[in-house]
Amino acid sequence: MGKLDGKKLLLLGERDGVPGPAMADVFADSGAEVLFSATECFV
Amino acid sequence: MTTVGIKAAAYCLNFAPELALHYGGTPRQERRAKPDSEFLRDLPGRAQTFEQAAAYAPNQAYIGAMTLEELAQAPAPWSDNPVREARFGTFGEIMPEDEFLGLMDICDVFDLIWLEEGVAASVAAKLARNPVLGEKQLARLEKGRPLADLEEAVRQHALPLYLHGRLAGCCRRAHDTDENLEAGVMLENLASKASGVLALLHLIRNAGLAPADIDFVVECSEEAVGDTMQRGGGNMAKALAEIAECVNASGFDVRAFCAGPVAALITAAGMVASGARPNVAVVSGGSVPKLYMNARDHVKKNVPPLENCLGSFALLLTPDDGQTPVMRLDSLGKHTVGAGASPQAVTTALTFDPLSRVGLRLTDVDKYAPELHNAEVTLPAGAGNVPEANYKMIAALAVMKGQIARGDIDAFVAERGMPGFAPIQGHIPSGVPYVGHALEAMKAGRIRRAMIIGKGSLFLGRLTNLADGASFILEAPGMGAGAGRQVRQEDVTEMLLTALGDLAATLQKGR
Repeated sequence: MGKLDGKKLLLLGERDGVPGPAMADVFADSGAEVLFSATECFV
Repeated sequence: MTTVGIKAAAYCLNFAPELALHYGGTPRQERRAKPDSEFLRDLPGRAQTFEQAAAYAPNQAYIGAMTLEELAQAPAPWSDNPVREARFGTFGEIMPEDEFLGLMDICDVFDLIWLEEGVAASVAAKLARNPVLGEKQLARLEKGRPLADLEEAVRQHALPLYLHGRLAGCCRRAHDTDENLEAGVMLENLASKASGVLALLHLIRNAGLAPADIDFVVECSEEAVGDTMQRGGGNMAKALAEIAECVNASGFDVRAFCAGPVAALITAAGMVASGARPNVAVVSGGSVPKLYMNARDHVKKNVPPLENCLGSFALLLTPDDGQTPVMRLDSLGKHTVGAGASPQAVTTALTFDPLSRVGLRLTDVDKYAPELHNAEVTLPAGAGNVPEANYKMIAALAVMKGQIARGDIDAFVAERGMPGFAPIQGHIPSGVPYVGHALEAMKAGRIRRAMIIGKGSLFLGRLTNLADGASFILEAPGMGAGAGRQVRQEDVTEMLLTALGDLAATLQKGR
């Protein structure tokens, strides 16, 4: 059982840092549920 | 190898702190939500003067009044260490806001911009001294209207335009019910148009051409031009060409968020390389909503709000004549749908992959030009040093690919990078601000190869979660550019005749 099993995630990414889809990939097999993933651009 | 020359470059800034204060996206939203906020109260008092903006080192570097080597040596913070103020640089100019209002009036063909008559007279005299504005452009400037007319228009529906806090003009709506032609949209589009026209005029001058020599214009800003039935229909390019008197040109717009300029250059290069259109200008004006975008953080942290200039650029693409630096079309980078979103995947797709395809290593590029945002603006806003982050990622990739040692990352970044110097105007900082400096550096023999990289935040349009990116290699003339050129029969004939002539002369001497 993983540390994130059953957790719900909100992922806020940044284009020139770590984008949302990249984080979603990382958490894909973590047991957590991604409720929302988005990327923003601050420049 | 297919190559296309970049013959000339132009870069301009339009100082516009009043447009920033009233119509920059962040202050405008704040005014709607919290009109009495501390931020809005303090912001006007923090604004730079034109003289301060013109003596701001990154602005001087952008218009080519200062080299990037000089910028790197300039003491930081740049905002506290003014340099010699120059209105004009090698590439273009920094224009004060009153003249810009006049330029918007010149670029307005539907009588939407009204200037107060005293302002109109004053800017007419100033614009008449501008070296790139001709009689036909100046004749488009109206005589202005009484202040009472402007006040009435603003009471009805027009947006006020200010100079030093006083009403100086207004922008009217272009339709009474169409929300895509309302005054705010028209103001953004006209400001982008006017700043783009200025860059195009400087480009024509820098290239030593007549306006009629331009065959085609590709425009790549982030504005949506159109009415309620076809939002974003365009065509800003042809509208720019009309004001610049490019009577033999047509044009179209390319949109790809901040990747637009690189995408437009690749599109234009394809037309030139195919022989379809020989002199193609790639142009973009600036973005009003991006003005003062990060000003809330700047005011909070007591640093000057530096996002006070609209940025614009124009580049002229021509057939490769062996004398001008060239874009290589055999090694274009693209961030494909399947490439992945991680920084490593994006950097690989835009740098390592296109270089490998033509047998080059990451260390074969003298200078990389990714997003060139000025870190003095982004760091106080918590957005980091964007160019530096890009350079570290490219260097890390070079380590992973075994092309440099881990201990050489800092040297790679220092040698092949540059400080960010572009205004925070979305598409404007996206690699292209370096092209002008690269042309100069290649002519002087300081560098031989650069890579221009653009990235676009497509996800902001909420149709996809994907970002985009594109890149190309820029090379000094003569680096094998001729290798792929078709040899014409006339060239061979001329070579043979020369050789036969030399032989005959030698034989005659020996007789």
